[in-house]
Amino acid sequence: MRRSRAIGVVVALVLAACGGGGGGGPATVVTPPTPQGLDVTPCLTQLVAGRSLASLVVPDVVTLDMNQPNGFPNGRRLDDPVIDLELAALFLDLRQHPVDILARRPLNPGGNDKVTLTVFPYLAEAHGGAPAAVGGSGFVFRTDAPSAYTRVDRGGEPAVSTVLVSGPFKNAFNDGTPAADANGMWVAEFTATLTVLATQFRDDFMALGLTPCAVPRT
Amino acid sequence: MDLRSLRLTAVAAVTALLVAGAAASWFGRSADAADHLDPPARTNVGANSDVAADLADVFIWNTATTVTIALTGAGPSNPGLPGFYDTNLVFIVHLSNDGNPATDEATIDIRFGRDPMGKFGVQFLNIPGATGPIVGPVQTILTDGPVVKAVAGVFDDPFFFDAQGFNESRATGTLSVRNDRNLFGGRNDTSFVIEIPRSAIANGTMPVTIWAEARRIIP
Repeated sequence: MRRSRAIGVVVALVLAACGGGGGGGPATVVTPPTPQGLDVTPCLTQLVAGRSLASLVVPDVVTLDMNQPNGFPNGRRLDDPVIDLELAALFLDLRQHPVDILARRPLNPGGNDKVTLTVFPYLAEAHGGAPAAVGGSGFVFRTDAPSAYTRVDRGGEPAVSTVLVSGPFKNAFNDGTPAADANGMWVAEFTATLTVLATQFRDDFMALGLTPCAVPRT
Repeated sequence: MDLRSLRLTAVAAVTALLVAGAAASWFGRSADAADHLDPPARTNVGANSDVAADLADVFIWNTATTVTIALTGAGPSNPGLPGFYDTNLVFIVHLSNDGNPATDEATIDIRFGRDPMGKFGVQFLNIPGATGPIVGPVQTILTDGPVVKAVAGVFDDPFFFDAQGFNESRATGTLSVRNDRNLFGGRNDTSFVIEIPRSAIANGTMPVTIWAEARRIIP
């Protein structure tokens, strides 16, 4: 247990340090209730397109460097195979495999079932046909300040809330902010959930001839 | 049954069929791997789901002169269903360009409204590079000058993923993802797309960060 706590602290600090400096203050460190078998620290600290995996998921925002080529994880285009890229980043040793190794196969569907447009609005027409534009004028909108509304959902990077946050914490995570993320509020939860998934899928990836990034604890 | 109830019932029915074809316990708990149907206690609870406020995916990319932002949600819904234009919601897009993602240098507020005939319109406030609010009908490309564009409406869901396979993988512990099965194929979202001048958000070599939230007026 003592070793588990120490690893949790290390991961928390790594993740918080990669969080873009938001909010200031020390990281919130909670002992992760992770299984004892695997250590996912190498997954969280490995580089994905020049950034650590931890910095991609903490805080939960999409980052675009406009001076670099576009494409996930630098921004996100409509056709980017984000799930296969993220699965590789989460579970595979990227010193041994390129991050697009699953996207090349592909593991999931290789693309959208409709061709996106080359001009605005870029999204493909709705299945079943585009709804007719029916016009209108003199629209009336609510004027309440955003603070008068209650948060229902938040979104940033794909798969953060849905994959790295377990059921009991979903609402709380979605009520959070990038500032809280950057302070390490969800580090223990991300670590615990990733450990469960890495344990589940380890033998499957190895059977595919792929090297997992999670390593057995020694 | 009013139109909203009908929509929710239809979505609930679709969801029920999907769950029946997969492992219900996981689907209901963890949804899929973008942000559809998440958080499930609010957006994936059958007829009581807040479908209209359910964000799916956030996209951002740039060209030499423009930055494009897309926000999808309220899906995946079956072809033919109308958009979820809920006038009691505000969608907020948070943009930061100072190197600290925890701060906002711009926030775009998006609301739906209705005209006296009951037709739905959309309002975009605080779009960087725009001269003022952008207002007009849904399913219509709205412009402000030569570069700024905005639209809200029903479009193809661009996400692709074998959610059923991932579901089964979680349930069985055996990786069962297939590349010939896409839960989001043939389905739509209610989405927003905004295009702005790159110069309106660029800050030297600093990256731009983006996240979004959906907020509801609770009576």
